Amino acid sequence: MISLKDIVPAAQNNINTQFILLDKGKISLDGQHKTCLALVADETAGVHFQLWGDECDAFEPGDIVRLVNGIFSYNRNNLVLRAGKRGKMEKVGEFTLVFVETPNMSEIRWVPDPNNPKIYVQEAVISPYSRIFPPMQ
Amino acid sequence: MDLHMASKLIYTATYEAENPIEVSLREAFHLLEPQLRPPFSLKVPTQPEYLNLNRAILFGILCELHFAKVHIKHLHGIVTDGYTFFTSLLTKVVNELYSKLVDSAKIQLIWITKELIHVAAVGFDALLVALLRQIVGGDFSEGNLWLCQELVSLFLFEWDCLLEEEPLVLASALYLFLRLLADHYRISGNSKIEALKLMEINLCVRVFREQFHLCLKIGRDLIRLLQDLVHIPEFRVIWKDLVLKPTEFRTNGFVDILQLYQKRTSSRYLLLRITPEMEKQLRFLLTHVKLGSQKRYQVWFMRKIFCVPERETLVIDIVRFLCCAHHPPNEIIQSDVIQRWAVIGWLLKSCKKNYVQANVKLALFYDWLFFDERVDNIMNIEPAILLMANSIPRYLDMTHTLLDFLFLLMDNYDVERKGLVIQCVSSAFGVLIRKGVIHSLDVLTHCDMLSPCLKESLGKLLPDLQLSVSKVLQPTHLLCHTVQPLDLGSPTGGESQTPL
Repeated sequence: MISLKDIVPAAQNNINTQFILLDKGKISLDGQHKTCLALVADETAGVHFQLWGDECDAFEPGDIVRLVNGIFSYNRNNLVLRAGKRGKMEKVGEFTLVFVETPNMSEIRWVPDPNNPKIYVQEAVISPYSRIFPPMQ
Repeated sequence: MDLHMASKLIYTATYEAENPIEVSLREAFHLLEPQLRPPFSLKVPTQPEYLNLNRAILFGILCELHFAKVHIKHLHGIVTDGYTFFTSLLTKVVNELYSKLVDSAKIQLIWITKELIHVAAVGFDALLVALLRQIVGGDFSEGNLWLCQELVSLFLFEWDCLLEEEPLVLASALYLFLRLLADHYRISGNSKIEALKLMEINLCVRVFREQFHLCLKIGRDLIRLLQDLVHIPEFRVIWKDLVLKPTEFRTNGFVDILQLYQKRTSSRYLLLRITPEMEKQLRFLLTHVKLGSQKRYQVWFMRKIFCVPERETLVIDIVRFLCCAHHPPNEIIQSDVIQRWAVIGWLLKSCKKNYVQANVKLALFYDWLFFDERVDNIMNIEPAILLMANSIPRYLDMTHTLLDFLFLLMDNYDVERKGLVIQCVSSAFGVLIRKGVIHSLDVLTHCDMLSPCLKESLGKLLPDLQLSVSKVLQPTHLLCHTVQPLDLGSPTGGESQTPL
């Protein structure tokens, strides 16, 4: 299991992690499929999560979710964590998870590592918190 | 095989992980299924086999309606521990899975509970308490009313058994149904509730009149609940007797209602009105969440617990729970974790109905009224003073409304014992200062923005503690220096509490 602060964009579905869903955006249609952006977080960081299809209605803020074989990559210009074709999300509980909303892994500018262009590294922080789901005051 | 006959135990939504308890019961059942039909094996099982057999039978009882009687005969035949494991497992199922149980399993659950009472199974009282806790306050849905109905009937029907084996559970039932009656009387035009109310009154009156010594065990919160019901004739008589003719209860040693006021109510009763899930969330909030980071949790809590307006009445029980049944250790008090007073402030602000607000304030101050340092716990009175002090200056209306209410209580709660109440409230203030919960009352009495009338009343109340209200005009920021003003909304706020 990986902490959210350690995820790195990659074209691999190898992200196994657990987090709490903080907020859900509006459901929209991507062709025939429902899609919805959400803010999720664990004790170490937050990230934007792309819900897809039935997932959009199945999860609510406050849900604790286990993700297996997820993928963290650019999807239509958004850097998002998602289950993808090979991943699976499961609700394992509610409420009882501590979280932080900064850093937000989606609000970071990533660039290829000069020493190993296959790997991404952090170059700069675009925003300490999600600009789409700012923290509640 | 009868695999197809067994129903599910719980509803599982898509995307929901399997529940470990359900899995262990179901797997035991499928593993041992061949052994669950007569003729039953006479071989003495090993300890692990015994436990697994208990699991399998429990699953069978809840999920195989048509074979329930076979399963229970089997259980009676194999039991070697007075049903301890079986009952504790069932209690766990209630505490963690009740809301997910399919309807047929709930019906079976009530049935098996009665069976366990009949054999005086070890721990059946904890099972009953777990069931009572699943009745959700302010919820008038069919499912919830059904559970209410089943349990009040059970207590009435099994009265003799319960009295003989575990009489204290009747005290729990009394507390619970007195509390529910207050809510049920606010609903009209529902015939189901009318019948239910009659049974609830019947049960409560019976405990008062026949087992008053059990009522004494509850302590002062019994009166708090009863006072909400004095408009009901049967309880008006009981109230009158308590006040004017205590000997009517024919209980040795009980001669004055004061004896009830002076007994602090154990947290076991206050837990009755909080579901295990609510308890888990509240304790989590007060153990792990930093002040300033609580907003999202508050939204989720509100959405879940207060999905309908009638449920607002739960806040009364939650506040009482927080004051009496959740006492954080010093490490938490000294940390930046959100404190009870802040949660209570938020809950109080969320209440819209006047009678709920009044009852919440009463719940907050209830242990002040007859506070006795020798038997009462300072942790029960701490949230009120901290809420009053820490609301200055940003939420001054909160301080005003609480102080106002406290003085109102002192004058009117028990007119005959007004002198004693005033003495006890003074004593409460005194203890809080002596133990360092607040440095002094200056935060209140020297606060420029607090009404002079309230400051004067405070001064009169505590002449020894408050020698002089400042006569010299001072700039505000110097006067309110004792407790740092708290910004409940910002991510950076918070001060560490004074250790007790």
